[in-house]
Amino acid sequence: MNQNRDFYAGLVGTLFFAIILFILIPIYVKVPSFIPGFAPPPDMWPRVVAIIGLVMGITAVGLAFPKMREASRNQVTSLGSRICSHKTLIIRFVGVVAVFAAFVFGMPFVGFVPATILLLAVLFMMTGNFERKFWMIGLSVIFPVLLYLLFTEVTHTPFPEGSLFF
Amino acid sequence: MWNELLYAFDAVATLPNFLAMFAGIWAGVIIGAIPGMTGTMAVTLALPFTFYLPPVTSILLLVALYKGSTYGGSISAILIKTPGTASAACTVLDGYPLARAGKGGKALNMALISSCIGDFISNISLFFLAIPLAAFALRIGPPEFFMLMAFSLTIVASISGRSLVLGILSACFGLLLATVGEDIYGSYRFALSEDMKSGLGMVPVLIGLFALPELIKIIVFRPEDNTQALKLGDNRLTLSEFRGSLKSICRGSLIGVILGAIPGIGPSTAAFFSYSEARRTSKNGDKFGEGELEGVAASESANNGACGATMIPLMALGVPGDVITGVMLGAFMIHGLTPGPLLFQNNIGEVYALFIGILFSSVFLFIAGKITANAFTKISRIPQTLLLPCILILCVYGIYSIGASPFDVTVLLVMGVVGFIMMLLNIPAAPFLIAFILGPMFEDNMRRSLAISRGDLGVFFQSWISWGFFILTVLFVTLTIRREWKKWREKRAAATASAS
Repeated sequence: MNQNRDFYAGLVGTLFFAIILFILIPIYVKVPSFIPGFAPPPDMWPRVVAIIGLVMGITAVGLAFPKMREASRNQVTSLGSRICSHKTLIIRFVGVVAVFAAFVFGMPFVGFVPATILLLAVLFMMTGNFERKFWMIGLSVIFPVLLYLLFTEVTHTPFPEGSLFF
Repeated sequence: MWNELLYAFDAVATLPNFLAMFAGIWAGVIIGAIPGMTGTMAVTLALPFTFYLPPVTSILLLVALYKGSTYGGSISAILIKTPGTASAACTVLDGYPLARAGKGGKALNMALISSCIGDFISNISLFFLAIPLAAFALRIGPPEFFMLMAFSLTIVASISGRSLVLGILSACFGLLLATVGEDIYGSYRFALSEDMKSGLGMVPVLIGLFALPELIKIIVFRPEDNTQALKLGDNRLTLSEFRGSLKSICRGSLIGVILGAIPGIGPSTAAFFSYSEARRTSKNGDKFGEGELEGVAASESANNGACGATMIPLMALGVPGDVITGVMLGAFMIHGLTPGPLLFQNNIGEVYALFIGILFSSVFLFIAGKITANAFTKISRIPQTLLLPCILILCVYGIYSIGASPFDVTVLLVMGVVGFIMMLLNIPAAPFLIAFILGPMFEDNMRRSLAISRGDLGVFFQSWISWGFFILTVLFVTLTIRREWKKWREKRAAATASAS
C-alpha cells in the first residue's frame, strides 16, 4: 500500500513540477527587459524550487519502484483497478469538488448568505448521518444567519447580495 | 528611577486600566479562537475606541488584544485543527493529535501555561532589555535574515515524518505557492487571474490545508466514529508533564523574545523555530507531530514570547515590526507619544506605566484563557458530522471578512481539496506550512542581499551572525544526512537478514 502511495505521490509531484518548470514559468513569470543593479530575475527562485521539486518527485518514484517490484503482485495494483474498486469513494470526492465549485460560481448569483445556507445543508447531507435531522435543518439556517449578523455588525463586512435578487 | 516606577505603578493600578486590559485580553482570546479573525483585525477595530481613552489605557488595551488573540489561536488549533491565527499553525501539529487522543484538556492547559510564561518572560525583557535588544535587532540586515531563514527551513527535515523526500517535495510546493503574486521588484508571477496578482492569502491557505481535509475525509470515507464527539479526558496537567516541557518553554520564550525583537519576523517564525529546536533536543523528539505536549509548549511559549518583544523595536526605535505594531504606532502618535529614543526622555512616566501595565497582562491572560478555554472545550462534545460542516461555514465567513474577497474563499476551498489529496498520498502537510510561511522572507532577503552586493555571494558571510547561522545550518544538514543514511543501512540489513 505505502509503496503504491509513494509511487503515486512521486508521480504527481513530478508531473506538477514539470508543468510548472516547462509550461507555467515561461508563460506566467515574465522577466523584465531591464533589471536594476544585479538583482536576480523574478523567475530565478521559482525555477530553483521547481527543479528541486522535480528532482524530489523523480527520486520518490525511483525509490518506490524497486519496493513495488519486490512486493507481491497483489499488493501492487494499477491505477485503473484501484479506481474501479473505490468507485463510491471517488464519486463522493467528485461530489465534494462539485459542491465547492457550485458554491464559488453560484454565490455571486444567489448571494452569500443563501449560498452558505445551501452549502451547509448539502454538506450535512453528504456526511450520510441523518440521526440528528432537526439539528441539521436548524443549524443550516440559523448558523449562517448568526454569522452574517456577527460579521456585519462587528467588522462591517459587506457580503455579496446576489445578482438574481437585487 | 524607583520613584518614577512607584509613581507609574500608582498610575497604572486603577480600575479603568485593569478593566481595559482584561476586556482586551478576553476579547482577543475569543477573536483569536475564531478562524479567519486575526489579531490585526481586533487591534484595528479597537483603535477608534481608544480616541476617548487616556494614552496609557489605550495602548494597554491594544497590547492586551494582541496578546489575547495570539493565545486564542491555539484553542481552535487544538480543538478543531483550525489555527485561529497564523502563529498558531505550529500548535496544530501536536495539539490536534492530543485532542484526538482524548488529551485536549491537557493540551489546552499546556498551551495556556506556556503562553503565560512566554508572555511574562517577554514582558520582563521589554522592561530590562529594550535598548540592548533593539540595538542587536538593528544589526540584522537582509544577509543575516537570509541565513536565519535558511536555518529555519532545515526544520523541514525533522517534520517530514516517514519520508524525507516527500517532505522536501511538500516544502517545494509551499515555496512555490508563496511566490504567487507580485515580487519585491513589482514583477507578477503565476498571475493566472487578476485576483492572483496580490498573491495567495496566508490564512485561507493554512486553514484550507488543515481544517478542510478532515471534513472531506468524513464525507468520502464516512468512518464509523464520525458521529462520536471527541473525548477530552483528564484535563489536569501533572507536575511531571509540566516539568518535562519546562526546558522547551524557557527556550521557546527566549527564542520568541529574540526573534520578536527583530522587525519583520513575528510570532509565526518564532513558533516554528522553537518547535524545531524542541524537536531536535527533546528525548521524545520522534513523537513530535503525533501528539507531544512539549511540542505545544514550545510553539505557544515562542509565539506569545514574541508578542511583547515586538514592542521593543517599536518603543525603542520607532520601527514597527509587523502590521499590528504598525497600527499601534498610529495609536501612540494619536495620543501625542512619538515612539523612538526620545520617548524614553520626554515621556518616561508613560513608558514605565506601560511596562508595569504590560507585566500585569500575563496574569489577566491566564484568567481569561482559563475561562475561555473551558467554555470552548464544549465544542469537542459536538459530533464531528455536525461540527465540521459548521467549521467550514465559519471559515468561509471569517476569511471573506478579512479582505471582502470571494477569491480568498476560493483559495480556502481549493486548498482543502489539495490538502485532502496530499493526505491520501501520504505527503506531509507540515513542511508545506513552514515553507509557505518562511518562503517569501527567504527569497526577498536573498534577492535584496544579492542586489545590495551587486551579485557577490560573499555578502552572506560578512558578519558573525551570518556565520553562526551558516554553521548551524551545515551542521544540521550533515546530521540529517547521516541519520537518513544510518536508517537506510539498518533497513537494508534487516531486509537481507529476513531474506537469508
